[in-house]
Amino acid sequence: MSELKFIFTGTAGAGKTTAIATISDFPPVSTEMVATDDLRIVKNQTTVAMDFGEMTLESGEKVFLYGTPGQERFRHMWEILVRGGLGLFILIDNTRPSPLDDLRIYLENFRTFIEETGAVIAVTRSDLSLQPALEEFQDVLTACGLILPIVHADPRKREDVLLLLNMLMAIVELNHNLLNVDGADNEYCDALGAL
Amino acid sequence: MNTATRLGLSDDSKSLIRSVFEEMMANCEGIDGLMVSTVDGHSLISSYRRPMDASRLAAMTSSLLAISESLSREASQDVCRHIIVQNTEGVLVTQRLGRTLVLTSMADKTTNLGMLHSVTRAGVEKIIRMRKT
Repeated sequence: MSELKFIFTGTAGAGKTTAIATISDFPPVSTEMVATDDLRIVKNQTTVAMDFGEMTLESGEKVFLYGTPGQERFRHMWEILVRGGLGLFILIDNTRPSPLDDLRIYLENFRTFIEETGAVIAVTRSDLSLQPALEEFQDVLTACGLILPIVHADPRKREDVLLLLNMLMAIVELNHNLLNVDGADNEYCDALGAL
Repeated sequence: MNTATRLGLSDDSKSLIRSVFEEMMANCEGIDGLMVSTVDGHSLISSYRRPMDASRLAAMTSSLLAISESLSREASQDVCRHIIVQNTEGVLVTQRLGRTLVLTSMADKTTNLGMLHSVTRAGVEKIIRMRKT
């Protein structure tokens, strides 16, 4: 595994762009535009295409970090960005009106990708709202038939984001043989051959 | 998770933009769709000669504009003036309308790209002039 692609998704304002900026080796590529809807209450700008950052692990492996827009109207970008991805971070803003419903929406939309790869759920802004509790998020996962790690995280804190990354990489390692990431099915390995 | 834009167009503004749309379609017969949307992906007003999903087009236009502007900066080419997507069955031209709006023109494959570009640019200038008066 010399190059790893992970995707951050989740509600608008949950901290996807911040999380990528926190651990990226260089200022991330950002596609933020002026928000003209109710999101303006939370922030002035919103990601409308993708964020992109990169970090190099001590082993020399490069980790590509992609962030999706949060809103469902940008579903076209969700479908594009997961291609070739090895795992998904779902960030849920706990101050929103229905965080559990938010989680259900992302689980539903990314279900196939999650089942094929792996995911970690991060509940953010829990310093402002402790409810729902992690157990309630866990219940949602159980009801969906999924077993995934779920933690509180602050996207501004490097140690928090690195913890998420380590958790997801552990899942990827476990699934390594199933994913066949060094084999002919891998998009990175196969890119030149497909020309 | 999708909310309506807080930007609106008055009836007068809509009427003026529709008149610009009509003029653009008259000057370039191959145009089969025109849309003004927000930079964050909400459709405000559109006119189509065939069925199109304005909501999806507006969201995709927003993504396309953002990526193009990022690419322009990354390539040290400063400001992205317009975006051209030339396809086997048609062509799209997208151009900013100030800070928060975008105009997108869609035309069939018989349309001359230069003509569509010229008409789109003229449309943008007219709408901006209208907003200022």
